[in-house]
Amino acid sequence: MTKRVFEDPGHLPSRGTWDPGQLPRQRKGVTPQMHGRYPDYDVLEQADHWDEVTRRLVLDRVHNVPPLRFFDEAQARTIGAFCDQLTAQDDDPKIAVLNYLDEKLYENKGAGYQYFDLPSDQEVWRTVARGLDEEARKQGRDSYAFLTEHEQNELCHRFAKAELYGAAWATLNVSRAFKVCVRDVCEQYYAHPWAWNEIGFGGPAYPRGYAAFGNPDLGEEEHWEAKEAVDVDAQKDVQAKGLD
Amino acid sequence: MSAAQGKLRENDSPFLLHQHKRGLQNLDRMARYAENDSVDLLVVGAGAGGITLSQRLARKGWRVAILEKGPFWDPDRDWVSDEKGAGPIYWTDNRIIGGTEPIEMGKNNSGVGVGGSMTHFAGYTPRFHPSDFEVKTRDGVAVDWPISYWDLKASFERVEQELPVAGQHWPWGDPHDYPHKPHPVAGAAVKAWQGARDCGIEMRVGPVSITNGSFGHRPHCIYRGFCLQGCKVNAKASPLITHLPDAIEYGVEVRANCMATRVEVDDASGRVSGVTYVGDDGREHFQAADAVAVCGYAIESPRLLLNSTSRRFPHGLANNADQVGRYVMVQGATQVAARFPELMRMYKAPPPEVSSEDFYETDESRGFARGFSIQTIAPLPIGWAEHVTAEGHWGLALREYMRDWNHWTVLGVLCELLPQAENRVTLASQKDQYGMPIAAFQHSLCENDKKNIEYATNVMNEIWEHAGAQDTLKIDRYAHLVGGCRMGFTQDDSVVDASHRAWDVPNLFICDGSVFPTEGSANPALVIMALADRLAGLLDAKQVAA
Repeated sequence: MTKRVFEDPGHLPSRGTWDPGQLPRQRKGVTPQMHGRYPDYDVLEQADHWDEVTRRLVLDRVHNVPPLRFFDEAQARTIGAFCDQLTAQDDDPKIAVLNYLDEKLYENKGAGYQYFDLPSDQEVWRTVARGLDEEARKQGRDSYAFLTEHEQNELCHRFAKAELYGAAWATLNVSRAFKVCVRDVCEQYYAHPWAWNEIGFGGPAYPRGYAAFGNPDLGEEEHWEAKEAVDVDAQKDVQAKGLD
Repeated sequence: MSAAQGKLRENDSPFLLHQHKRGLQNLDRMARYAENDSVDLLVVGAGAGGITLSQRLARKGWRVAILEKGPFWDPDRDWVSDEKGAGPIYWTDNRIIGGTEPIEMGKNNSGVGVGGSMTHFAGYTPRFHPSDFEVKTRDGVAVDWPISYWDLKASFERVEQELPVAGQHWPWGDPHDYPHKPHPVAGAAVKAWQGARDCGIEMRVGPVSITNGSFGHRPHCIYRGFCLQGCKVNAKASPLITHLPDAIEYGVEVRANCMATRVEVDDASGRVSGVTYVGDDGREHFQAADAVAVCGYAIESPRLLLNSTSRRFPHGLANNADQVGRYVMVQGATQVAARFPELMRMYKAPPPEVSSEDFYETDESRGFARGFSIQTIAPLPIGWAEHVTAEGHWGLALREYMRDWNHWTVLGVLCELLPQAENRVTLASQKDQYGMPIAAFQHSLCENDKKNIEYATNVMNEIWEHAGAQDTLKIDRYAHLVGGCRMGFTQDDSVVDASHRAWDVPNLFICDGSVFPTEGSANPALVIMALADRLAGLLDAKQVAA
């Protein structure tokens, strides 16, 4: 049985930093930055097994990236760079997290709660944009987006640890604001089929459903489900699967 | 016809649904009451309590109407197999949350639309234990219920037939069997079961209100894993499909997209006269009623009463003893995820599969009162991201833990937290789109709560150690919402009596999770429906004049 690359947990963040460069290249469909664990899996190939209402919603999400209506140009520049830091998207193809976030805030699709020591989600995001630019100006740049990648990452770490002080940051609970930002960003990123390819998610499953989920005779997975990368010579694997 | 079948003849809902279409088919026959036509009972909230109560009373000839803020759902047209796209089925109008342990709302615990929170609940429907009704007597904490488990047993049995509930023979509390047999268990949940068995902890399949085999015109489950986003198969129970079709046949009207803003009271007689609401047309309406049942759950029921001020009730209807909104409880629902070499693929099969009530009852040696249940959990991608980010991961670490998702499986607990007067719902200054003050919910843990949660978390870690987990990730969170208009023995420490009637408002009833004096370590859905079944029996037998 070929040993699967990711059986042992050596790669997990709890065991030190992990360079995504070591990940297999995506060979089918799209993943953010074209790497992932399931190089030959594209959830969109299953779209005609989905119900009509779900298919329309998910394909629209892929093909029609919403225009910017909530953030102004300067805010969009700053928040766009911040979203790329939170999701470690340092190269194309990228999920347009900024645009989906803009749609959520513009259409007020809230989470249903507001912490007593935070303003509305809309105001949290505007304050974060202002605060990040304030910090950039302290380092001689007009916008957070103009900082180097390392400086942007450094600022994210300080935001995550609530070690940011100054006019904008004094108006809200900084550690809770970070949690609200991460919540909103993750909802946009992990709602996207490219992310589903990256993490091997089976995607919408109605009306087909599943039969193989651990029953001894039916096995662990359906034939179409994502297969995790295996430790074999890529050359042979490509030829064996007739991928080139 | 079998006994179960016989019982079903008191509720034809499974046979009134269509074999292939999931939306209700008898809406054209739904009653339409005029606003000045005083219905026998006006219910606020089309959820587990409101619809069950209405169906039972309509069968006995009561003229009943229900006001529901959200839409009249059609699973085919409205629901999607998508986490983000399922947003509309949660109550996402704003609420202010505070206290030392603020409680997240929305998709975490609040439903909207016809069917209520059961349209998005995972499906666990355990009973309470006899001890849940006597916590003060047994453990010297909290309060006793003014009724006992035995007052509800027949209601539990009836509702279990109607959902139906599937599971193994249940050895805990008052042992009992279930009408549908246990579902097949996914590999991800088997892993937890093995670890538990290795520690000497008993677990059982279920109990879940998900059909295992077809049930009337409802198909059996197809194990697609999207229970929390609304069951497009109609396999998972919600009152939208288990009780409302029958209720409509017997004259219940549901007025969807109608937000109740005040329960009106006649200051002279002290009786309620009906409910003011903002209709589908955006304008204010008033529906007259001989009696009102508020069934809006633990945040909206208190909010509605607090907003229904009058000369006789200056601080809110039924609130002259300042009890409305107090003693709201959630359960400590910490989850611990565990990592394994082989693929778990949590996205398959319903999240609720195997659970344990070994730690349900108090055990002095643990150093705290009451206990907790353990249940398998299976977050989808966005849910899993919330779990990973709870420990503060972002950027590269977030991406890598997320790519690892198929190697993980999750256990959660429901720790019984104690009722506290200051854990309460009040009215905030901010107003919503209906001009009504929004709810603020203040919540903090007491010492007993913290000890319970800490102990339960250690048990989960022990289970995963025995299962051979390579890594774990923990998230502290809270589940469910009960209390706020609790039942009691006297007027000064409760809002309703043992018959769900407001102490000083003879024709006002409250019939939802807000009446719970204590919460047990169980998911509240079945208990809420059983309480509604019991209240209908009291009202019908005129033991309680409305």
